[in-house]
Amino acid sequence: MPSSISSSEISSDESEPLFERPLPALGNRLGIAMLVCLLLLAGWEAWVRSQQVSPSIRNSDGLWAEQRRRIDHGEGDGWVLIGSSRTLFDVQLDAWETVAGRRPIQLALEGTSPVAVMEGLADDPKFTGKLLVGVAPGLFFSGYEYRRPAIERFAKETPTQWFGQRVSLLFEPWLAFYDPDYALPAILHRQPIANRPGVEFKMEVRKLSNMGRDRNNRMWRRIETDPEYRDLARRIWAQDWKPLAELPPPRREKILASRASQIERTLAAVAKLKARGVTVVFVQLPYAGHYAVSEPDIAPRALTWDPLIEKSGALGLHFQDHPEMQGYALPEWSHMSAGEADRFTPVFYRLLQDQLAASATGAQP
Amino acid sequence: MLFNSLTFVVFFALVLALHNAPLPWRTKKINLLLASYLFYAAWNPLFTLLLWLSTAVDWWVAKRMYAEQNQRARRALLLVSVLVNLGLLGYFKYGEFLLENFQALVGALGIAYQPAQWSIVLPVGISFYTFQTMAYTLDVYLRRAAPAKSFLDFALFVTFFPQLVAGPIVRPTDLIPQFAEPRVASRPQLVWGLALVTLGLFDKIVLADGLLSPAADAVFKATELLHPLDAWLGTLAFSGQIFFDFAGYSTTAIGTALCLGFSLPDNFRYPYAAVGFSDFWRRWHISLSSWLRDYLYVPLGGNRKGNWRTIANLMTTMLLGGLWHGASWTFVVWGGLHGLYLAVERGLTARFGAAAFWQRWAGRLLLGLLTYFLVNITWVFFRAQDFATAWRLLDTMLGLHFDGKAVLTTIDMLQVGVVIVGMLIAHALMRERQLHAVVGAAPRAVVSIVWGTMLWLILITQGQSNAFIYFQF
Repeated sequence: MPSSISSSEISSDESEPLFERPLPALGNRLGIAMLVCLLLLAGWEAWVRSQQVSPSIRNSDGLWAEQRRRIDHGEGDGWVLIGSSRTLFDVQLDAWETVAGRRPIQLALEGTSPVAVMEGLADDPKFTGKLLVGVAPGLFFSGYEYRRPAIERFAKETPTQWFGQRVSLLFEPWLAFYDPDYALPAILHRQPIANRPGVEFKMEVRKLSNMGRDRNNRMWRRIETDPEYRDLARRIWAQDWKPLAELPPPRREKILASRASQIERTLAAVAKLKARGVTVVFVQLPYAGHYAVSEPDIAPRALTWDPLIEKSGALGLHFQDHPEMQGYALPEWSHMSAGEADRFTPVFYRLLQDQLAASATGAQP
Repeated sequence: MLFNSLTFVVFFALVLALHNAPLPWRTKKINLLLASYLFYAAWNPLFTLLLWLSTAVDWWVAKRMYAEQNQRARRALLLVSVLVNLGLLGYFKYGEFLLENFQALVGALGIAYQPAQWSIVLPVGISFYTFQTMAYTLDVYLRRAAPAKSFLDFALFVTFFPQLVAGPIVRPTDLIPQFAEPRVASRPQLVWGLALVTLGLFDKIVLADGLLSPAADAVFKATELLHPLDAWLGTLAFSGQIFFDFAGYSTTAIGTALCLGFSLPDNFRYPYAAVGFSDFWRRWHISLSSWLRDYLYVPLGGNRKGNWRTIANLMTTMLLGGLWHGASWTFVVWGGLHGLYLAVERGLTARFGAAAFWQRWAGRLLLGLLTYFLVNITWVFFRAQDFATAWRLLDTMLGLHFDGKAVLTTIDMLQVGVVIVGMLIAHALMRERQLHAVVGAAPRAVVSIVWGTMLWLILITQGQSNAFIYFQF
């Protein structure tokens, strides 16, 4: 027998000694390395905090999945908020709870059409409450899903991902540098270095908010206080935008086809939800500046919002129709500052209740 | 469970604490076995059933085979093991591929065959542990080794978590005997193990995912003809990404095992400093290339049956090695190109190898650069999602279409340039050296600062727990 894998025979087989990994003598280098790491980390944390960043919960896929699971765990009979970033910024959970007496579940996902989330809720018998659907026209009717991985994470979260999220939450409230906007690759990527002609460079959306444990999201104060940073946020929103009529025909046709399919999918989901007794309310929250031009261009109200509300038979609250939803400061054109959102939320909640009551009694809202 | 995840940090701390607790050796081995199942089940608990099946079948087959003198009966037992192991691998990994190709074949004959949708999830690491358990049965069949006496040791060999899902593919003779006697890491082993874990995670999180993958992804997802500079930089970026990703996993696995007191073999030895392809395969994914050599190439006849048979054996081995990586013809072409390179190298070495020029530094540098250039050609097929992408990239890389589209930003180009040049210099300098020797001889302050800086960079890169590329294989 040339060699043995028998644990009892190996000792008698002296011809083939076991491989033992050679080791360098490192002495106390581990301790010094840890010290070096801690010093560098402390300096990095100080630099990040000097940028006005404070520790915040990460708006991660795992956090969204955790909130989505609350519906499965017996909280599906209350208000659930879906939509994109405007729903995240403008509806404040503390203020809502103060007037409503119960905190809603915040499932809005920035840069993402909420139709897939709505379809998931429509297929989930544990959801029996009320659904507020934020409609940011350019996203909702395009079907764009920047945060699709969050929805997939909820469907397929592995035990290790679930546990990793729990561990991460232990650190997130304490470390400012643990913010995705200050990850090393993100910092390198945004360095102002000129590119070759023809290279399409898109600036990534910068940090705009701080998030709480249950995804209550508040605009980062620097947007309000730092005009340069606010201008940067506005430039990022407006970059590369072209009116629909100027887009290449294939892209234009794709957008128009998406409109139809998004409305169709939404109507099907609303029908399922209504059949289960779920109240569905659509809302268009305020926008200004660049968005006042781009949103109606990409999704004209008469061709998108109006037919959606009419065909679905659901309540629709458009900020242009309700003075209560107007007059709020939108520092970077798309979202309310934290203070304004605190002021807006109770006003909006009362409007919502009034309109629901009116539609229930058949009165003209 | 991913090495580059917070879950693993907690898991490993607990395993390490248990392994160093004053418990009997058998209890510690049971702890390691349970931890290994937990490590695997953290993805998909159901797939541990496959591990158990593979463990039970190979344990039973090897025992029976060792006791059996009748050669036909031994062969039948080997067939059972091969059928179960390759059957599972074939079903989970190649089922859809075979079905698609069958569909295309009958379609070409004018038969419209529409099979049901194939929606089988690939169990993580199945190619790795299948080869590892097959090595055990084959060793016993070929009378190279006796079967393990302890079922616990064998089960731990199949399942040992540091190398379970992406290797190194450890030989039974290297690992099972290590489970015989109590092992706890000495302080030097623990410290060096942690240093290797740091290096492995730095390779993966900072270099592969943080600095190289953006350029590689941008180039390989492009659907138009690219500028040659972009195509080349994207391919070079992938050459670094795949190395740092896979070598990073292996280094972390080796470090993790060492922290527990076990020694796993090297899987990489600075492959981009290889001079020729025989040299490359002695340095790249060593545990797979040696497996293929010992269990496929040599049994096929190796180089003992004449030139043409040697070439055929090389091609067969490398084509199957390509297919091992994934159920796609692009992987087969990748393997085929390597087989071709090896065959051509064999012919050229026989004819021109004796010339003094190839032994001088200039000749070796030239050959080293040529090897790296040709390896990069193969990476195009390895990374491209289809042949159209591969041909389009090669067209501009070799045809130099300067009117192609530029997609890489200056910062991406800088990142690729710095990392790839640094990697090539490091590989060249380390070609004849061992890492432990270099680190041991370096000044204490340099080692500490480099180590601490790597840890810091890992933390501030904030990796997204991206899966290792080789998990899909």
